[in-house]
Amino acid sequence: MSARNRVLGLCHCLLPTAAAVLLLTSVAGSAWAQFGTLGGMHPAPATGIFGWLLAQQAFFYQALAGLIRQAKSNGSAYWALMGISFVYGVFHAAGPGHGKAVISSYLLANEETWRRGVTLSFASAVLQSLTAITIVAVAAVLIGGTAQLMGNAVRTIETASYLLIIIIGARMLWVKGKSFRAAVRKIREEFDPVPTAAAANEAQCHHEHLHVGHSHPGHSSAAHDKHDHDENVHADCTAQAHHHAHEDEEEGILPWAHAHSPEPEQLAGPGGWQRGFSAIIAVGMRPCSGAIIVLVFALAQGLFWAGIASTFVMGLGTAITVGSIASLAVGAKSLAKRIATTRSGYGALVLRGLEVGAACLVMLVGIGLLTGYLASERMGFF
Amino acid sequence: MLYRLIAVILAVAGVVTAIGTASAHPHVWVTMHSDFLYSPDGSVTAVRHTWTFDDMFSAFATMGFPKTDGTFTRETLQPLATVNVDSLKDFDYFTYAKVDGKRVKDAFNEPTSDYWLDYDPKTTLLTLHFTLPFKVPVKAKSLQIEVYDPTFFIDFAMAKQDPVTLVGAPAQCAVATEKPPDGNFPTTLRLDHALVTSEANIGMGASFANRITVTCP
Repeated sequence: MSARNRVLGLCHCLLPTAAAVLLLTSVAGSAWAQFGTLGGMHPAPATGIFGWLLAQQAFFYQALAGLIRQAKSNGSAYWALMGISFVYGVFHAAGPGHGKAVISSYLLANEETWRRGVTLSFASAVLQSLTAITIVAVAAVLIGGTAQLMGNAVRTIETASYLLIIIIGARMLWVKGKSFRAAVRKIREEFDPVPTAAAANEAQCHHEHLHVGHSHPGHSSAAHDKHDHDENVHADCTAQAHHHAHEDEEEGILPWAHAHSPEPEQLAGPGGWQRGFSAIIAVGMRPCSGAIIVLVFALAQGLFWAGIASTFVMGLGTAITVGSIASLAVGAKSLAKRIATTRSGYGALVLRGLEVGAACLVMLVGIGLLTGYLASERMGFF
Repeated sequence: MLYRLIAVILAVAGVVTAIGTASAHPHVWVTMHSDFLYSPDGSVTAVRHTWTFDDMFSAFATMGFPKTDGTFTRETLQPLATVNVDSLKDFDYFTYAKVDGKRVKDAFNEPTSDYWLDYDPKTTLLTLHFTLPFKVPVKAKSLQIEVYDPTFFIDFAMAKQDPVTLVGAPAQCAVATEKPPDGNFPTTLRLDHALVTSEANIGMGASFANRITVTCP
């Protein structure tokens, strides 16, 4: 690589890196925004878009309460109730919820199709509606429990959900971290194409092969991990083997360019669903406090069925908002991928870096939520 | 192509920030009345809060409690009142004090034991009564009490009539109240403001604070 190319490559690398960092911080920031009081902080008044969005949410939430009251005596209020539930869902998903941050980071870190991104959003929204309904049905209808009991149930579910988010993040970090390391290795090789480096890498390949052979056969339950692991090592080593033949190509560090790497279409198949499933559970198992309060209120008015219908319609609205954000994430990722394939090794490095960053973010959000550093929606003060 | 990537990434960042920053909206509405309790020497010893919750939250909070003659008695609701008051501690009772313009941290002791909840079967509203004693009684020219939820889960509003009563205050003391603007919510969409305040969500509930200022010259 000539000096000029190197400088160009650096520029091409830095700009998207800066943009990627900005994206990650914005996702992180939006999650952190739910964080409660900072000692002695006195923010400016909330006006503008954010105040407006909050005003809309509060307005629709209060409208929900009003319509449930009306529905008791006036049948036509049901239709309005469904309409408002939908709009509230759309606006509310724009509000608190680590779900958005987790889903978009997950999609940024993984090779996912648009359809899968949207399906993921819808599935988690449906699950979220179901948990809210189940909690109220069991606590209020079956065992006559109190709001405090429901609050405890939600906190337990919450903890499990946060742990799951941490596990998903850690797993992604493990897989993506290896790809990142491979990309770094590839760049280093380009800067320092001395035979000794190649030899050293070759040795490492053999070592990793051995490592795979030793550590994995016993773990039949970890078949997934083994698959990923094998693939990456294989990709690295194949790159190594072909390196001299394809000096300027980067097949080896772009897993999707390799014959053994899963294509997005393959991921959308039955095997891919298992991976997405954990994300759906992690994000969808924590019910929305608003839905629970609305359901209990509907129940108190003797309109539990209307409450259930309203909860599902709300979930539909939520899914549309989260699905839109997910689509943006998928779009950004696929564009990044396309560009990376047309660039030198730096493109791949940025891409891998973005994935590692997204994986870290998922894990950090999970840790933040679990330790209470990041506040999720409360259930009142019980 | 590269610049398109940057553009797309920036767009996603913008949208995620914009949507993500609009954090919690209120799920609970409280109409509040506060009494300032004075000792004979003219210092404020405590703030007595009377908080009435909205009907949706009232229904939610009373769930699972048995009704007696169509209502919840004070005795029935006492365990709930205990839970409420105990957990309010984690939120500093949503009550913040400023003495002569200076914020006093941890100004209050735990509520006195005479707290209770009452339920109005006609309006179906639940009201929490509790008294917050000052750690050090306040004798100052100006005492300001702010009531708000920094996370904005609870929307506090002062009662329309007589939101504050000074109990046993010296004659020269005067009370002024300051409500949050626009019935708690901005109604206009102003892009310039959005840009200025985009990072201001943390603790934004403070901008919806209800301020009560007592001045005794």
